[in-house]
Amino acid sequence: MPPDANDSTVAQLALLSRRLEREHRARLAAEVLAERGLRELYQTQQELRLLVSIADTANQASSITEVLRFAVTSICNHTGWEVGHAYLNHHLPAASPLRSARIWNDSINPLFAELRDLTEQRSLVASNGWPGRVLATRQPAWIRDLAAEPDAECRKLSAAGQIRAAFAFPVTVGDDVVALLEFYCTRVRDEDHSLLLLLSQVGIQLSRAVERKISQDRLLYDATHDALTGLPNRKSFRQLLAQTLLEAQQRNTQCAVLFIDLDHFKLVNDSMGHHAGDQLIVQVACRIRSSLQPLELPTSPDQSAQPFCAAALVARLGGDEFTILLDNVITESAPLQVAEQIQEALKQPFQINGQDVFTGASIGITLSAPGYYSGDEILRDADLAMYQAKSRGKSRCIVFDRSMRDQAARRLTIENDLRRALTKQEFLLNYQPIVALDNGEIIGFEALIRWRRAGDIVPPSDFIPIADEMGLIVPIGHWVLEEACRTLRDWQNQFPREKPITIGVNVSPRQFRQPNFVAQVRQALANARVEPSALTLEITEGATMGNPEQAIATLLELRNLGVKLSIDDFGTGYSSLSYLHRFPLHALKIDRSFIARIDGSFQSFQVVNSIMSLANNLGIGVVAEGIETTGQVEHLRSLLCRFGQGFHFSKPLSRADAHQLLAQSLLCVTR
Amino acid sequence: MMGVVFNLLEAAVCRTYGEAQWYELLDKAGLDGAYTAIGNYPDTDAFRIVNAAAETLQLTPGEVLRWFGRESMTMLAERYRIFFDGHSSARTLLPTINRVIHAEVRKLYPNALLPDFSFEDAPADTLRMVYHSSRSLCDLAQGFIEGTALVFKEQITVEHPHCKLRGDHQCRFDIRFRELVPTKSPLAKD
Ligand code: HEM
Repeated sequence: MPPDANDSTVAQLALLSRRLEREHRARLAAEVLAERGLRELYQTQQELRLLVSIADTANQASSITEVLRFAVTSICNHTGWEVGHAYLNHHLPAASPLRSARIWNDSINPLFAELRDLTEQRSLVASNGWPGRVLATRQPAWIRDLAAEPDAECRKLSAAGQIRAAFAFPVTVGDDVVALLEFYCTRVRDEDHSLLLLLSQVGIQLSRAVERKISQDRLLYDATHDALTGLPNRKSFRQLLAQTLLEAQQRNTQCAVLFIDLDHFKLVNDSMGHHAGDQLIVQVACRIRSSLQPLELPTSPDQSAQPFCAAALVARLGGDEFTILLDNVITESAPLQVAEQIQEALKQPFQINGQDVFTGASIGITLSAPGYYSGDEILRDADLAMYQAKSRGKSRCIVFDRSMRDQAARRLTIENDLRRALTKQEFLLNYQPIVALDNGEIIGFEALIRWRRAGDIVPPSDFIPIADEMGLIVPIGHWVLEEACRTLRDWQNQFPREKPITIGVNVSPRQFRQPNFVAQVRQALANARVEPSALTLEITEGATMGNPEQAIATLLELRNLGVKLSIDDFGTGYSSLSYLHRFPLHALKIDRSFIARIDGSFQSFQVVNSIMSLANNLGIGVVAEGIETTGQVEHLRSLLCRFGQGFHFSKPLSRADAHQLLAQSLLCVTR
Repeated sequence: MMGVVFNLLEAAVCRTYGEAQWYELLDKAGLDGAYTAIGNYPDTDAFRIVNAAAETLQLTPGEVLRWFGRESMTMLAERYRIFFDGHSSARTLLPTINRVIHAEVRKLYPNALLPDFSFEDAPADTLRMVYHSSRSLCDLAQGFIEGTALVFKEQITVEHPHCKLRGDHQCRFDIRFRELVPTKSPLAKD
């Protein structure tokens, strides 16, 4: 073999083994690269898995603590850190300091016992310390080695240097940190940036869960609470009542329901506006609550726990109706005592729009024993008892008894009969003369409604309030208007006078507030072909004051139409004197209560006197109502009051009798 | 079986018996021998090579496995240095196999079929490990254990009083450390 051939073989071998060596190294390097890639892939998969599982739990879990518990455990599993813990704002959605949710990944390891104790005792503050700083920055934070921290508190947490690294991250909703998760491990660990990034993502998932929980709670709360007062509403009261009744029956104890209805509430609403009415409701709710406070058990911090255990629970059913549920009623007198307490609490005037407003409560009470099958029955009977209380005068309290059911049934038949009364033409008008006090001349009449029901005459006080509540007052009022106009036309035809006869017609607030009221009046006048100036519409103060501007507009339209306007029962309502001068009135009618006492009480005399001078200043007339004695006539004359009506002159007369009286044409003032 | 095991076997054989011997074993086993660390290959490939080696060296397959385990651990320690960092004795390292070493292996190779070890109470100078695996490679395990001690330059004796291959219901190793733990890790650079 030639030497050079040998040389070239050697060279070739060297080349080959060099190539082999290179290939071998390349393969090792490729494997290292592949392993790194696999590791990263694994890592991202794990992170993704963690995020997805936490997001899933956040979507499905029924409580925030459940989500936090899952997150704490999964993060510990993911990182291999020994201990994880969660703080929570227990008073969501209100802002409140974070406290331990007592959620721990490892609650038995004695190494962390002190950390646990310290943690569970404190509430977290943003100002300093670990992990308080997370609150301040609302960012995740990392401690490489607790034992090496300058902060004394950190060293305290480190269990004499055995707990080393720590990290924590916040769960925020809006600007508030609502929860905070912290983790500890026994080895020193350098900050892991990608882990912190992952935790921010976890924080976002958790905050979604918290947000959702908050809005769920709010929905639930809104559905079960009255928006104005924050008290439980009818729906939740009924639920609680049903539940309480059941429990009471099982325990063989008693519960009771108080049904409260405010006095004068409608008046406040009508005269001062709905806003004032709302304010009154809120203040009343507040007073009722605080008068019951000694009875109420502290409600549990856990939102989900129902306050079934409360000895007393207040709810607002709607409008001016409140109910109270008393559980564990030991003596029969206990509910009465509570009722008295409430009435006492409502005695003081309420400040509304700078005005003193008085109200009171009519209260009906029902005890669960004996033998109620449903909460709704109890509630209905308490309502009936309240109704009784109300009908016997303001601010009373009455315990339900069975006879009330009959009364309720009676009322129901009244309602049914009322509904048919118009078509059956059961209404009729009586007419009470209005006379000139100086000479007794009849200048006109006030038309007064009567109901002939199955042969009996029902007085207005027995059916007008019911008709008002039912809304029937509007068609009835309309009928009165038309009927009065027809009478007017007949009388004017039959008794033509220099100053034509007038008729006053009462207009209820509801009727007055109809948008087409003026048109109705115009139509009634046109139908009867009478002069508008012969018709006086008598409205109450309540009708005008709810929305004074609207009322003024209506009054002006009526004045332009030519009808006369007077304020009825003047002095009893919440007069808004500031508006009075803007009402285009022809007369004030002084309420009978002042006239009745005019000879006995100097005060009443003074009131009438003041009304007289007020009317004089406004340039309008005065009609005194309810005159019964000569003495009253004299007093009124001395005050220069020119017109009046009352039994002293004549009781309300049937149409025929009034007709006859007109025929006689004169009445003796001094009779 | 992961390719890395084949690579280690190749390295061990080449180092002790020369490269030619490795090709002879491959020929005997009827294999071409192209293995990459990150690949997964039939277990039978490995057993065929081990059996070929046993025949050639006049040893039992178990003895080959044990020898291989001893030889390869030093190489593993070099390749996966990170698992040995912070340890100065097999005594502290061995208990980390499940939780740390093989846990990490599993992250890279979800297909790897890794054994499980449990640790039982034993006299103070003894580490008692119980080996659980579907493969019954207890001889390899013993070799790995001995190899680990070699990495730390420790003198140990490994007893294998219960063995599945001998009909017991599990494989148990009693590892006795004869010398005190050296103060310095052999891997630390001077
Ligand atoms: C850096 C250290 C180590 C690495 C990277 C490592 C890696 C691996 C890999 C990749 C396998 C193959 C699994 C398969 O192909 O399915 C394996 C198997 C095995 N390893 Fe390890 N290992 C290490 C240390 C140890 C130690 C210290 C022991 C001590 C007993 C051990 C015992 C075993 C055994 C017995 C098997 C055979 C599989 C079986 O029995 O089922 N390993 N190891």
